Amino acid sequence: MLAVQLLINGILLGGTYVLIAQSLNLIFGVMRVVNLAHGSFIVMAGLFTFWLSARTGLSPLIVLPIVFVVSFVVGALLQPVLIEPLMNQGRRAELLSLMVTFGLDYVLVQIALHVWGADYVSLPYLQSTWTFGAITLSKALVVVGLFAVGIVALLYFGLNYTSFGKSLLAASQSPVGAACCGINVRRVRLFAFALGIALASSAGTLLIMILPMAAESADNLTILAFVIVALGGLGEYAGVTIAAFLLGLAQSLAGYFLGGDAANVLPFVILIAVMLLWPQGLRRAA
Amino acid sequence: MTLEGSSAANHVADTPALTLENVTAGIGPLTILHDLSMVVPARKVVVILGANGAGKTTLLRTIAGLLPPRSGRICLFGEPIHGRPAHLVTRAGIGHVPSGRELFPRLSVADHLDLAGKVSTPGRRAEIREQLLEMFPVLAERLRQPVGTMSGGQQQMVAIARALMTDPRVLLLDEPSTGLAPKVVLAVFETLPVLRAQGVSVVVAEQSLTLGLSHADEAFVLDHGRVVLSGAASELAQDHRVIDTYLGR
Amino acid sequence: MIGMCSSSKKGHVSMPHTSRINAGYLLTAAAFLAVAISIPVFGSEYTVQLATDILSFVALGYSWNLISGFAGYISFGQVSFFGLGAYTTAVLVNHFDVPWYVAVCCGGIVTAIVAAIFGPIMLRLRGILFALGMLGLARILTVVFSDWDYAGGAAGTTLPPQLNPSAVYIGMVLTALCAFAVNAYFARSGFGLDAMSVREDEDAAGALGVPTTRVKVITFILSAVFPGLVGGLIAWNRSYLDPASAFDPTLDLQTIVFTLFGGIGTVWGPLIGTSVLMLIGEQLLIHFSSLKLALYGAVVIATVLMFPGGLVSLLNRFGLLKRKLILAPPELPLGNAPAAIDAGLAAGDSLLEVRDLSVRFGGLLALDNVSFKLRRGETLSIIGANGAGKTTLFNAITGFVQPTGGEILFRGSTVSALPVIDRVHLGMARTFQIPRLLSELSVWENVVLAARHGRQKHQAVEHAAWVLRTVGLDEMWLEPVARLTPGRQRELELARVLALQPDLVFLDEVMAGMTKEEQERVRSIIRRMSDFGVVGIVCVEHVIAAIADLSDRMLVLDFGRKIADSKPTEVLNDPVVIKAYLGEIQ
Repeated sequence: MLAVQLLINGILLGGTYVLIAQSLNLIFGVMRVVNLAHGSFIVMAGLFTFWLSARTGLSPLIVLPIVFVVSFVVGALLQPVLIEPLMNQGRRAELLSLMVTFGLDYVLVQIALHVWGADYVSLPYLQSTWTFGAITLSKALVVVGLFAVGIVALLYFGLNYTSFGKSLLAASQSPVGAACCGINVRRVRLFAFALGIALASSAGTLLIMILPMAAESADNLTILAFVIVALGGLGEYAGVTIAAFLLGLAQSLAGYFLGGDAANVLPFVILIAVMLLWPQGLRRAA
Repeated sequence: MTLEGSSAANHVADTPALTLENVTAGIGPLTILHDLSMVVPARKVVVILGANGAGKTTLLRTIAGLLPPRSGRICLFGEPIHGRPAHLVTRAGIGHVPSGRELFPRLSVADHLDLAGKVSTPGRRAEIREQLLEMFPVLAERLRQPVGTMSGGQQQMVAIARALMTDPRVLLLDEPSTGLAPKVVLAVFETLPVLRAQGVSVVVAEQSLTLGLSHADEAFVLDHGRVVLSGAASELAQDHRVIDTYLGR
Repeated sequence: MIGMCSSSKKGHVSMPHTSRINAGYLLTAAAFLAVAISIPVFGSEYTVQLATDILSFVALGYSWNLISGFAGYISFGQVSFFGLGAYTTAVLVNHFDVPWYVAVCCGGIVTAIVAAIFGPIMLRLRGILFALGMLGLARILTVVFSDWDYAGGAAGTTLPPQLNPSAVYIGMVLTALCAFAVNAYFARSGFGLDAMSVREDEDAAGALGVPTTRVKVITFILSAVFPGLVGGLIAWNRSYLDPASAFDPTLDLQTIVFTLFGGIGTVWGPLIGTSVLMLIGEQLLIHFSSLKLALYGAVVIATVLMFPGGLVSLLNRFGLLKRKLILAPPELPLGNAPAAIDAGLAAGDSLLEVRDLSVRFGGLLALDNVSFKLRRGETLSIIGANGAGKTTLFNAITGFVQPTGGEILFRGSTVSALPVIDRVHLGMARTFQIPRLLSELSVWENVVLAARHGRQKHQAVEHAAWVLRTVGLDEMWLEPVARLTPGRQRELELARVLALQPDLVFLDEVMAGMTKEEQERVRSIIRRMSDFGVVGIVCVEHVIAAIADLSDRMLVLDFGRKIADSKPTEVLNDPVVIKAYLGEIQ
C-alpha cells in the first residue's frame, strides 16, 4: 500500500501548503502586493515556537494562538508603514512592493539568524506513529495537516459567509465599488495584510512540528508559496487550493522516488516547465 | 442662489441637496474642473450634460469623495463633505452608481444588497430591500447569481439597487445608459421620477441630450470643467446653444 | 524616478543640454585612471582585494541596472549568471588546462548563451512572475551543481592558486569599465531609448514600432555577460568554489541595494551607490558584521519608500548629474520634409477594407457585421453614441482586440491575424484615447523614438525636428511630458504617430476636451497630413463639428451596427442618424 501511504502523506503535506499559499494569496488578492518576506514570517514563527516550546514545555498547538495574535499585531503595525504608502502608485505599486518586501525579507531573516542562530531545528513533538495495517502515519503530520486544513476552512467560511469577509472580497474585486458600499477600504487592506501575516505565521508554527527549519529556509518557503499561487492563479481561491494539494502530492512522490534534493527543487522546476509550455496560464494570473 | 432661467426660485426655503462653490479638481497635473459652482435643489431630478471630456464623471467622482477637490466647497444639505473619503461620503447619504458600475463580479446580487445595506438603518434596510426587489423583479429572480455572469442591463440594475440600499438622500448616476439597449435605458430612466417621489434627489450625468432632458427637471451643461448653461430641462430643450456646446461650435 | 533635464526658459530652443566631451568628464576619467593605477602599485594586498571586491559589485550593479533599471524588468537573477560564470571558469581551468583569463572570458560567453536561450522564455512574463522565475533559476542551479561531481559536487572544487592579485584586479577594472560603457551607451543611444520605452509602457512602445522582444532579449543577454565575467574572476581569485558561495542569494541583495541606493536606471547610480555603501558601510559595520545584511535590507525599504530614485535623484534636485536627453542635438534643427514615400497605390485604390467585422465579448456583441472601404486619399470619420462600438472597431482594426468574425484588408492583403507591431510596420498607426505617452521622458524623446525606426540616426533627428516644428511643439521640445497641458499631450501623441510616417492613421477621439484653439491646431495638422506621408485617415470623434468639414465620408455606428456611411452633410441630416445619436431637435 505504498501508493496509499504516499498519497496520504502528500495530501497531509498539501494541507499545510494550502495554508502557506492562501495566506499569500489573500494579501495579493486584496492589495496586489507581492510579499517576498512571506517565508521569513513563516520561519520566524516556527523558530519562535521551537524556542518557546523548548523553554516552557508548552505544546506548539497551544503556542499557535499566541503566535497568531502576535503576528497579527505585527502585520497591522507594518502595513501602514511599508505597504499603504505604495497603494496610490498605481501600476508601479506591484513592483515597488516587490522591492520593499525584498528588503523586509532580509531584515527579518537576519534578525532570525541573530536571535536563533543558523542551525536547523525541529520539534520532537508527537513523534510517534499510528499504524493501520500496512499504512504508517506520523502523528505529527496528521495533526498538522488537519489543523492546517481546519484553519484554511475557517478562512474560507470567514471570507464567504461573514459580512466582514465579504467586504474583504468586495474590496479586492472593486475598491471603488466597495467605497460606494460605505466600506473603508484602507481598513480592509490593513486587516487583510495582518491576517495574511498571522496565517503565514501559523503555518510556521505547524511546520516546525514536521520539518526541520532554519533561518535560511525562508526564501525556499517564499518561492514555494509563490509557485503554488502562480500555478493556481493569483487571487483565485479554488485554483490555489488545488495547486497546493497537487504540489504536496508531487513532492511526496518525488521525495520518495528521487530523493530530498529533487523534492526541494521540484517547485521551481514545475514553475519553469509551466513557463515554457503554458505561459498563458501564468499570464492570466499576473 | 438661483439658477439662470430656472424654476428653482419657486422652491421656498428648501436646503439644496448639493451646493458646490468654486470647486477645482483634477488628476495629477491635469485640472479638469475649473472653479465650478452649482446648486442641486432637493427632491428633483437633475441632469449634467456635456460632451466627452467636459468633466461630468470627474464632477460626480469629486462629489462622491473619490477625488479630493483642490479647492472649493461641497455641501450636502448644508453639511460640508468636501475632503471626506468616499466611504464616509456614502455614509453621509450620497449613493453613487459609478461609470463602469464597479460591481463585485464574484459576489451575488444578494451580497451586493447586503453589503450596501449595512449603511442604512436596520429598519429601513428591510423596507428598501423589499421595495427594490419589487422595482427590479429580474433581480429578485437572481439573488444568488454571481453578478459577473449577468448582462449589462441587469448589472446596471444591480448597481442602482446597491446604491439605493444605502438609503441615500442624493443619488449620483454616472452615464447609466452606456452600453445598454434602448429599452433597458428607458427602463432605467423611468425609475428616476419614482425615486424623486420618494424624496431622493437624483443627479444623472448623461451624454445623450434627448435622454437627459426628457427625464429631468433641471439641467446643467458642462464644457471644459465649467457650467456654461443651466436651467429647467424643458427650457433648455428648446435652446440651440446646448447643441452648439456639444458640437463644439 | 529619473531626473529630467529641463529648459529653463520656455520657448528658448537652443540650450546647452547635451554633453560635450568637456572638462568634467575628462577630469573624472583621469581621476579614475589615477586611482585605478595607483592601487596595485602603492596599495597593500588588502587594498587591492578591497578594490577588486568593490569593482565586482560595481560591475554587477551596472549589469542589473541594464535589465531592471533601463528595461524595467526587475530581476533577481544576477547570482545565477555569476555562478554559471564561476563554474565555467573552474571547469575549464581544472579539466581542460585553459589559461585562467581565457576561461573567464568563456564564462562570459556561456552566460550570454544561457541568457539567449532562457531570455525569450522568461521575458514573456511580466513583472513579478519574471522576478520569480529568475529567483527559481538560482535555486535550481544550486541543486544541479551540488549533484554534479564533475564540477566538484556539493563539496565544491578548488582552483590552482592565483599568484597575481593585480592581474585579477585589472580584469575586474576592465569588466567594470565595460559594464559602465554599456550603461553609458544605453543612456545616450536610440537602443537605450527603446529599452526605456519598454519600461515606461511596453504596449505603447510596440505600437510605435519598437521591436520590444528583441530589445528585451538583447538587454537581458548584456545583463548576463558581466556577472558571468565577474563570477569567473572571483572564482579564480578565491581559488575555491562551491555551490553555496557560487549561488549565494545575498549577492543579489547587495547588487540591488547598491544600485537602488545610488539611483536605479541612471548612469552614475550604480557607481555612486556601491562606492558609498561599501566604503562607508563596510567600515562602520566591522563591529556589527552580523547585522550588515539586515541594514542593507532596511536601506532598500527606506530608499523605495522615501527616495525611489536614489542618491542621483537627490543630487538632481541640486542640478547635478541630470540625465541628458537621448539623441538630442544642441539646437533643434529645421529639419526637412520627408521624401514622399510612394505608397504604391494610385489615388482611388482601396487602402483599407473591413468586411463583416464582428467582435463579441462574452455575451455582448460589441460589433455586428460592420463593413466599409477606405480609398487612398480619403478621410473617414466614425461617430456614434457611447457604447456604440467605435473604440472596439478601432481596436479590432489596429490589432488590440481579436475579432470574432470578418476580415480586415490593408492595401489588398489580410491583416486580421497580424500582431500590432506588424501592422505598424506595414503602415497602420493609431493614437490612444487616453494618451499613452512615455511620461518619464521628454517631448523630444517621445517623438524621436518613433522617428528612429527605419532611419539612420541623423535622419531620425532631422525628421523628428521637422515633425515637432510642423505640429507646433518645437518650443517645448525639451520639456518633460508631465508638464504639458492635456491639449499639448494630445498633440504630442499625434506628433509621435506622424513621425512613423504611416500610410494610414487612426485618430482616437483626438479632439476630446480640447479648447477651440487646440482643436484648430489639430485640424490644421489633419489638413496637412499628406505632408507627413499619410494617405488615409480614420477618426473616431464625438466633437462632430470639428471633423465634419475635414471628412470625405462619415460612418455612424449604433449598438455595434453601421447605420450610415456617406458624405457628412447627408449623414448629419439623415433622420435615422439624428434620432439615434443626437436626439430629435424641435
